[in-house]
Amino acid sequence: MKIIKDKVASLSFVALLMALTAAMFYAPTASAHGEKSQAAFMRMRTIHWYDLNWSKDEVAVNETVTISGKFHVFSGWPESVDEPDVSFLNIGIPGPVFIRAGSWIGGQLVPRSVALSLGETYDFKVLLKARRPGDWHVHTMMNVQGGGPIIGPGKWVTITGSMSQFVNPIVTLTGKTLDLETYNIGNIYFWHAVWYAVGVAWMWYWAKGPIFIPRQLAVASGKANTLISAGDKKVGIAFLVGTIVANAVLMGTTNEAYPVTTPLQAGTMRGIIPLELPVPSVSVVVDDATYRVPGRAMQMSLTITNNGDSSVRLGEFMTASVRFLEPNVLEDETGYPDDLLAEEGLTVSDNSPLAPGETRSVSVTASDAAWEVYRLADLIYDPDSRFAGLLFFFDEAGNRQMVMVDAPLIPSFI
Amino acid sequence: MSASQSAVRSRAEAVAVSRTFDWMILFVLFTAVLGGYHIHFMLTGGDWDFWSDWKDRRLWVTVVPIVAITFPAAVQACLWWRYRLPIGATLCVLALLLGEWINRYMNFWGWTYFPINICFPSQLIPGAIILDVVLMLSGSMTLTAVAGGLGWGLIFYPSNWPVIAPLHQPVEYNGMMFTLADLSGYHYVRTGTPEYIRMVEKGTLRTFGKDVAPVSAFFSGFVSVIIYFLWHFFGKWFAGTGFIADDAS
Ligand SMILES: [Cu+2]
Repeated sequence: MKIIKDKVASLSFVALLMALTAAMFYAPTASAHGEKSQAAFMRMRTIHWYDLNWSKDEVAVNETVTISGKFHVFSGWPESVDEPDVSFLNIGIPGPVFIRAGSWIGGQLVPRSVALSLGETYDFKVLLKARRPGDWHVHTMMNVQGGGPIIGPGKWVTITGSMSQFVNPIVTLTGKTLDLETYNIGNIYFWHAVWYAVGVAWMWYWAKGPIFIPRQLAVASGKANTLISAGDKKVGIAFLVGTIVANAVLMGTTNEAYPVTTPLQAGTMRGIIPLELPVPSVSVVVDDATYRVPGRAMQMSLTITNNGDSSVRLGEFMTASVRFLEPNVLEDETGYPDDLLAEEGLTVSDNSPLAPGETRSVSVTASDAAWEVYRLADLIYDPDSRFAGLLFFFDEAGNRQMVMVDAPLIPSFI
Repeated sequence: MSASQSAVRSRAEAVAVSRTFDWMILFVLFTAVLGGYHIHFMLTGGDWDFWSDWKDRRLWVTVVPIVAITFPAAVQACLWWRYRLPIGATLCVLALLLGEWINRYMNFWGWTYFPINICFPSQLIPGAIILDVVLMLSGSMTLTAVAGGLGWGLIFYPSNWPVIAPLHQPVEYNGMMFTLADLSGYHYVRTGTPEYIRMVEKGTLRTFGKDVAPVSAFFSGFVSVIIYFLWHFFGKWFAGTGFIADDAS
């Protein structure tokens, strides 16, 4: 007996471990710091986020932060990623530390997935309401069906206060005011407890008598019929009828209590309106581009033509959320995340104002540790070794023009 | 000690040992089923069971009963044919719900802070009672599969409705209509679960007009019948003792 007891005890332990593992197995994705592990071409050649602004970097619980800006949907979208016909404007945060109080693309609320067009630029805004205190890295993010998450730049935002203060008041169309943070929870616990008790009662009815050995012996000796008594059947019928009647009654009373209910709302939203950007008057041809691995620098030879009526200078090259600025032309005043900002990262061989009608060939170097830190240099190991990014030119009046570049990239290892 | 010699010396002792054995087996069975069934259910029912904004009138009603009838059918096969115990389905569902509640409370709420009103599990106990009682009254696998399986599918939606209905109240929010469940799904950010993977209100049942839940429930019941047969046989096979040479049964 001792041996059997030990065996059962150790088996129980294994089963318990299995059960606990299963229960512990799954938690919804909480991490949001995937940006560096994402393939460089995904970040360089899909969605380009720019003009980003995080309205605050410290908020109290229940206060809001707005993230606004624009994103350009790259026209040279990589073939290995599905086109953004079904895309969802998400936000990269570790779980619901903020609630998403609203999100808009082109002024349209986008709680559901949208269709985006290649080559277009959209403005967007995400309104977040602070819920859980802590320091959180808040990323812009676009999920593309068949492509996965495309993570934009992240900035640290601090939430102060206490989560117990958080409220989420909602008024329904039937005029009820409720707090979505806690609404219906008591009701859920109550009905789950009631039915659990019914289930336990049924189990208890059978477990209170001898179970396994005597019943197995009875079945083995052909006396199986004696094991279910008339009383058992009565109890069973009571449980069965009680369960069915209770559910019928509950269905009725629930419908009376909630006469107006609607199905879940779903479906892709089309017709999102992109920004109307003027056709750039500057044209750029990439003659060649190399990435110098030891120098952590990308060097491009560009032929720039100014077809406009004001002279222009190159102020910024942006790719994969990393901004390389030409300090003589542009200084960042938006509080862009430091790690993604190379304030003196852009050098141009001749950046004197390019007069209207003039064409000039220049050598442009974008260098910063960010190439390594953000693993953009991994680009050279891509099957389709190309780079892409946005060039920003500024005229005398400070007006900005955006020009897309997309060209092959040759690595240089010496 | 020879094999024929008894390990107990009196009838009273035999009864006590037998009872100890009962509780140990029940405990092992409960926890083992909890582990296996929970993993199976997470992999097959998954998001439909996790989130209130997946609990729709079509796919949730259809998918959850079908993937959930598996273990109850198998455990019923073992407990009924060997012991005439009509508790297989209830035992499975109680184990599953315990595991789910631990997971939802500790991981979804305790670790990731999703409010329980968006991530509570689906109710399956009334269906389990139907399966067990039908098996007890009929003693027939075929009848349990047909009547029990159908009942299991049909009672799923009504038994969840008292908990779901409040979340299906409509709200106007920034110029669009939501249900409260949709709004929870939108508010409480799931970075890894973008909106487009949500499979709700899809399918061709629209031809049936607005009352699609009963149609989905019937369809679910029919498929549950088939799955019941399949897993009942799995259970019988799994509970076999052919590996012991002197098999009594
Ligand atoms: Cu981050």
